[in-house]
Amino acid sequence: MISMLTLSLTFMVLAIIPCIYRIIKGPTIPDRVIALDAMTTVIVVMLGIYSFDQSSVFFMDVALVLSIIAFVGTVTIAKYLDEGVVL
Amino acid sequence: MNLIDISLEILSNTFLVLGLIFVFLGMLGLVRLPDVYNRLHTTTKIGTLGAFGVMMSILLKVGFSPIGVKAITVGLFLLLTSPIAAHMIGRAAYRHGVCLCKESVIDEYEKACALNNKE
Repeated sequence: MISMLTLSLTFMVLAIIPCIYRIIKGPTIPDRVIALDAMTTVIVVMLGIYSFDQSSVFFMDVALVLSIIAFVGTVTIAKYLDEGVVL
Repeated sequence: MNLIDISLEILSNTFLVLGLIFVFLGMLGLVRLPDVYNRLHTTTKIGTLGAFGVMMSILLKVGFSPIGVKAITVGLFLLLTSPIAAHMIGRAAYRHGVCLCKESVIDEYEKACALNNKE
């Protein structure tokens, strides 16, 4: 009997494949940024499920930090595309 | 196993399946849709509903232990910041000069920009 969490972890790993396809193929820069953001969100969800699976609280810290870094990175690239400067 | 445990288990699995469905739909849209803005609209659903559903499911499974509190913190953070990031990258894509797909029927931001430049 496969448990629900193993099934969802497998599903999340399979969900990274379209993101990598879009990062490689994407015609414009915002396409790649969107795909990277989606991939980071999927990895955050994976870390959350894995943290519950291992009953270890440290993976959830990693998920929180990774989501903060993804937000800051996306806003930085958006500002760079918009105005041409970062700061 | 009493009634409350069973109902919490069912509710938690329902949230998990809901989150996984939204992640699946987001990935489908990321591959299939024709335009940057359409893809942006679809992938934001992963950040808000998909991640929040899975984190809510973990909270319902473990209760208010450290794992559960951190899970709901991550879920609320993603729920707040994912639309902001999507809005910024969409506006940057428009100003950077990414065209809309040819099936688009209306472009209101162009009119707004023209009105803003005229004043």
